Amino acid sequence: MACELACGYHRDDGFALLSACIMVTRGREKRDYSAVVLKEAENLVIARAEGLEIRRIGAVEEGGADQSKGDASAKPLLLREPCDLCSDREEGPLCLQFCPVNAISMN
Amino acid sequence: MEYLSTHKISIIDLVTSKVMDQELDEDLVKEKIGGAGITTALYEEYQGEDPIVLGTGLLTGTLAPASALGMITAKSPLTGKVCHSPLTLYAGLELKYSGFDYVVIKGKSQKPVYLWIHDGVADVNDAKDVWGKDVWSSTDTIRDLMGDQLIQVLTIGKAGESESDFAQVCINYWASGDRWGFGKLFGQKKLKLVALRGMSLLEVSDAEGFVKQCKELLSTLKAGAFVDKKGIEEIPAIIGEENIQKWLGPIVHRHVSCFNTPFPTNTFVFLDEDPKLLKETEKKEPGFLITDIHGLLGFKKLGLSAADACALLRDCAKYGIDPVAVAELNQKAGKNKPDEIKKSFSGLKGSLESIGKGKFSPWCPHFGLSANEWEKKQAVAYIFGIHPIFALLSPELSEEKLIELANLGTGLGFTSETLDKVIADITK
Repeated sequence: MACELACGYHRDDGFALLSACIMVTRGREKRDYSAVVLKEAENLVIARAEGLEIRRIGAVEEGGADQSKGDASAKPLLLREPCDLCSDREEGPLCLQFCPVNAISMN
Repeated sequence: MEYLSTHKISIIDLVTSKVMDQELDEDLVKEKIGGAGITTALYEEYQGEDPIVLGTGLLTGTLAPASALGMITAKSPLTGKVCHSPLTLYAGLELKYSGFDYVVIKGKSQKPVYLWIHDGVADVNDAKDVWGKDVWSSTDTIRDLMGDQLIQVLTIGKAGESESDFAQVCINYWASGDRWGFGKLFGQKKLKLVALRGMSLLEVSDAEGFVKQCKELLSTLKAGAFVDKKGIEEIPAIIGEENIQKWLGPIVHRHVSCFNTPFPTNTFVFLDEDPKLLKETEKKEPGFLITDIHGLLGFKKLGLSAADACALLRDCAKYGIDPVAVAELNQKAGKNKPDEIKKSFSGLKGSLESIGKGKFSPWCPHFGLSANEWEKKQAVAYIFGIHPIFALLSPELSEEKLIELANLGTGLGFTSETLDKVIADITK
């Protein structure tokens, strides 16, 4: 995902999906369902078609393990650094600038 | 090869199940640039062993706009020529990050196998859990087995296993641009599927300059002709075919881009769910992702409703057969009922008028270009790893801009003369 690569570049000066603090989930592909997950210092922010959800890192998910099975991914999001909104860049977050379909915005 | 690369080529011998890693030689990159330039060279190097070469373009999986493309290069069972088939969606991206820029698959296995290519490792595994399954079940099985739903799967279905002339290598659950019968080649090699996933790091020679140039180019593209256009149903009107928006529109759920591509060339339709639903559906298989405009138009020309046409596309994808061939040969046979068309999958035979005449898959429309112009522009897209449809729709992605990006990314000093020579080599 371009936003993940841009975020990874902000961290590593190279292109890597693993080092990004943002992730586009493409789980449950047959349902064509996706979401953008952002790691903040203490929260995971999950943005998807039906709205925004903020989960405290470490909190037990409602619905148990089965609900999260469909999002299984080899990318360990919890190991990533939290988003700093690209604070050292005058132009703001790189993920916004590189989203090819303008799917990300910031209030 | 130090930059925009994972440095490695995997050479997989299906006869012995042995895998050998080879370094990607910088001199080869200087001479052939990448993508189809190098897959063609690798094909020629191993041609005595009837290889299938998987590859990525020089810019694939980077911030370069539309850098989604990977490719399969092999001799087409349909044409007898060495041809290239596009790997879109996220398959090119995952191949690049799997740890190998190129994969050469040579020889034939005695028993069904699959390849698991990930994190710099390529394994040849027994395919007993997936052989005999359709495309959708195979993808589900392999993802569940590996515990990762983001694995990209290049797989054949029953058409490939039975070595149908029109068997297609599908991407995950969806039709691909394989119009060359490469699915038959997979079947002949007893190769059920290739699973791709990786976490590599691509280093960049002039990282700041490369990213700045990508950003400027993306801004230009996003202000261009595509601002208000979305989805596969926009394409027929652009290529001079009948406008299908009223026909398809009522079942469209959303549009889907391939990796980092500003124009979504794929459209998801809901067949068993309300297309207006925004929250996640409870249904496991609500619809289908249309990735091939010619297949869709082929079924429309048989007089089918959009829902029936898309349901047939889904059936073709599960069986792993080229929908364009199915539509054309059924039209010739005078069949236009979904049930009888579906029954024709097994044992489908005949010659196609829509078969590709050149080296690149006719999956990408010509958009009014002459055959030579189209072939040249496809060559450029396949060398750099740019989405073939988007490349034709975006004059802003010029050869000069792509060479400039390649030089910022690699520091290798490519020139237009280098590119012209590679184009001439791979289109001759």
